Amino acid sequence: MSSIQIQDVTKSFGDFKAVSNLCLDIAEGEFVALLGPSGCGKTTTMNMIAGLEDPSEGSILFNGQDLSSTRIQDRNIGFVFQNYAIFTHLTVFKNLAYGLAVRHLPKQDIERRVKAMADRMGLSHRLDQKASSLSVNEMQKLAIGRSAIVEPRIFLLDEPLSNLDAAFRAYMRAELKVLQREFGQTMIYVTHDQIEAMSLADKIAIIDRGKLMQYGAPLEVYNNPTNRFVANFVGSPRMNLVDGEVKNTGGSMKLVIETGLEIPLSGRVGADIASHRSTQRMSLGIRPQDIYLGDLHHTDDIPLSGLVEEVERIGPKRLAYITAKGTRFLAVDERDYMTPGSEVEFFLAAEKCMAFDGATGERMGGRVQ
Amino acid sequence: MTDLISDMVPLDSTASESPEGGYWYRMSRDGQKLGRWFVAPTVLLLLFIVVFPLLMQLYLSLTWWTPLDGTRWYKAYESFNFADNYWRLVTDRDLWAALLRTGAVIAVAVPLQFGLGLGLAYLFIDDFPGRKIFYSIILTPMMIVPAVVGLIFFLLFQGTGPVNGTLGLPANFSWLTSVDRAMLSVIIADTWQWTPLMFLILLAGMLGVPSDQLLAARLLGGSNWQNFCRIILPRMKPVIIIALVLRTVECFKIFDLTFIMTKGGPGVATETISLFLYKKTFADLDWAYVAAVGLTILFALSLLAAGGLAYMAKKKG
Repeated sequence: MSSIQIQDVTKSFGDFKAVSNLCLDIAEGEFVALLGPSGCGKTTTMNMIAGLEDPSEGSILFNGQDLSSTRIQDRNIGFVFQNYAIFTHLTVFKNLAYGLAVRHLPKQDIERRVKAMADRMGLSHRLDQKASSLSVNEMQKLAIGRSAIVEPRIFLLDEPLSNLDAAFRAYMRAELKVLQREFGQTMIYVTHDQIEAMSLADKIAIIDRGKLMQYGAPLEVYNNPTNRFVANFVGSPRMNLVDGEVKNTGGSMKLVIETGLEIPLSGRVGADIASHRSTQRMSLGIRPQDIYLGDLHHTDDIPLSGLVEEVERIGPKRLAYITAKGTRFLAVDERDYMTPGSEVEFFLAAEKCMAFDGATGERMGGRVQ
Repeated sequence: MTDLISDMVPLDSTASESPEGGYWYRMSRDGQKLGRWFVAPTVLLLLFIVVFPLLMQLYLSLTWWTPLDGTRWYKAYESFNFADNYWRLVTDRDLWAALLRTGAVIAVAVPLQFGLGLGLAYLFIDDFPGRKIFYSIILTPMMIVPAVVGLIFFLLFQGTGPVNGTLGLPANFSWLTSVDRAMLSVIIADTWQWTPLMFLILLAGMLGVPSDQLLAARLLGGSNWQNFCRIILPRMKPVIIIALVLRTVECFKIFDLTFIMTKGGPGVATETISLFLYKKTFADLDWAYVAAVGLTILFALSLLAAGGLAYMAKKKG
C-alpha cells in the first residue's frame, strides 16, 4: 500500500500536451477517480503512474519514493485493463497464479492463495477451465483477482466497467467498493462516467484537456464546482448554464441573454458578481432541482416565466424543459405539476445560483452552503 | 414476381410441390447437374496434370523400364518386376547415406534458422529507428534466386575468396572441397537465404500476440524472459509448427545450393537426396528406380505435413 504524489507532471507527444502541470496528492488507502471526457489525458496520467509512459516533466512519488528508474515488472502495480487482457491460452488457475509463479513462490503457497482468491471472486468452479471460456463478467473478476493476488502497492483500473452489461455494472460497482475496503488498497480509477466516479470514489479528480479542473470529495465537487467545466460535467441531469452579459441599470443588476431574456441578479449571486468587478460576460449556473414552481420560498429568489415544452419521466420524478424567451431551462418537476404546452411561473433559488466568469470560466464569489 | 421468388427459394414443401410452379426449383436442381458438366473439363484437366504423372510414376516404379530400352513408356509392363525397385530402395546404402545427409542438413539448418528467426523477430516487436529499412534488408536474401545464392557462396568460400581473407585463413584452407566443411558451407548458405522466411513467419506470429496481455504480464512482475516463455511462445505454437514443417520440407528438397556449390562433392560428402535422384536420373538413366524413391519420399513428407496439420486442427478444436 502506498500514497502517491503527482508533482507538476507534464506529458507531451510532440507539440501536443496530453497532460500539463498536473498535481495530485493521493493518500494511502484512498479511492480516487480520474474523471473527464475521452481524450482529456486521464488514461495518459494512469499510464504514467503505472510506468508505462514516462512524464516529460515533473515526478511521481510512491511513499515519497521516485520509481522512474525501476523497471515495470519490479514496480508491483496492479493494473486492470479496459479489455481485461486475460491470458486466454491459459487456465483460470494459471491466470490467477501468474504473478505468484513468476516470483517463484513455493507451489503449495501458490495453490493456497489462488484458491482463496478464486473463492473470493466466485471463480472456484472455473479454475481448471480455459480462461477463454469465461463470460465477460467472469473475465472482469478474473482480471481484478489476478492483479489483487500479488498484493500490489497501488491498484489502477482503466474504465473497468465499460464493457459490462447494465445490471452487472451496478453489481460490480458495489463489489469494487467492497473489495477496495477489504484490500485496503490505494485505488485509482479512470472513468468518463461521472455517476461511477460519484458513487465509488473518496475523491474525484476532474481533468479536461490535460489540466486538472478540480480535485475533491464527490459532494464537494458537486456542490461547489470551481469552474464552469466541472459544473457542466458533474451531475445528472446536467446543470443549467446560461451565458449572457451583466448590465447595471438603476442600481439593479441583470443578466441579459442574447435571446432577449433578462434575469435579475439578486441575493447572494448578485453579491458574488458585484465582488468580481471587471466582469461583463458570465454564465449563470443552477441545478435542475434548484428550480422550483409554485410559491416563492425566499424573497431573493429569481422569478421567471416560460413555456413548458416537454416533460420526461425519470423514475418517480419528472424533468421539465421550460423555454423562457428562447432560453431553455431544465427543471425537476417533483409533484407532476406541469403539462406540456402550458405557461408557468418558476423561480431560481438565488442561494443555489452560481456565477462563472465568461472569459476564464472561473467561479465567482463564495461557496454554496 | 412473388411467385417466382417463392419458387426459386422453396421456403416450405408446398412451394416445390405446387403443380404448375416449381419450374425454377427444378431448374436450380437440374442446373446443379448441368453445372457439373460445365466444370468437368477443368477438373479433368487438373486431374490429368496432377494425377496422371503420379500414376505414371507409380506404373514405371513397378518395372525395369529405362529410356535405353527403346520401347515406349506405356509398354513398360513388359519388364514388370512387382516391388523389386522398392526392395532395392530399402537395401540401397547410397540412398540411405543421402537420406542421412539430408537429415543432417535438416537437423542443423532448421533449428539454427528457427533460433535466428525467432531472435530477430523478437527484436522487431517494438519500433525502433530504421525498423522498416532493416526489415527490408533482412528479407532480401529470400528474394534471390537460389542458384544465384549458390554462386555467391561458391565465390565467397573459394580458397582465395573473401571468407578466408576476412578470417585471416590461408588460401589452401578449403571449404567446398573439404569433407568436413563442405556441408557446413551449404548449411551456412541455406541459413543465409532462408532465415528471413522463418523471421517473416515468426514475426507475424509474434505480432499476433496481444500487446496488452504482454503489458499485463509485465505489470504482474514477469521478466521479459518469463513472459516470452509463458505468453509469447505458447501463443505462437501454430505459427511455429507451420514454420518448422515448411522449412523441414524445403530443406528436404535442397538442390540448387549443393548443385552449384559442390556438385555433391567432395566425393558424396554433400550429396543430398535431391542430388542423389538427379544423378540417378541423368547419369544412370535409372528412371524406374527414381520413380520408386520419389514416390516413397512424397509419401513420407505428406505424412509429416499431415501430422503437423492434424496437430494444429486438434489445437483449434
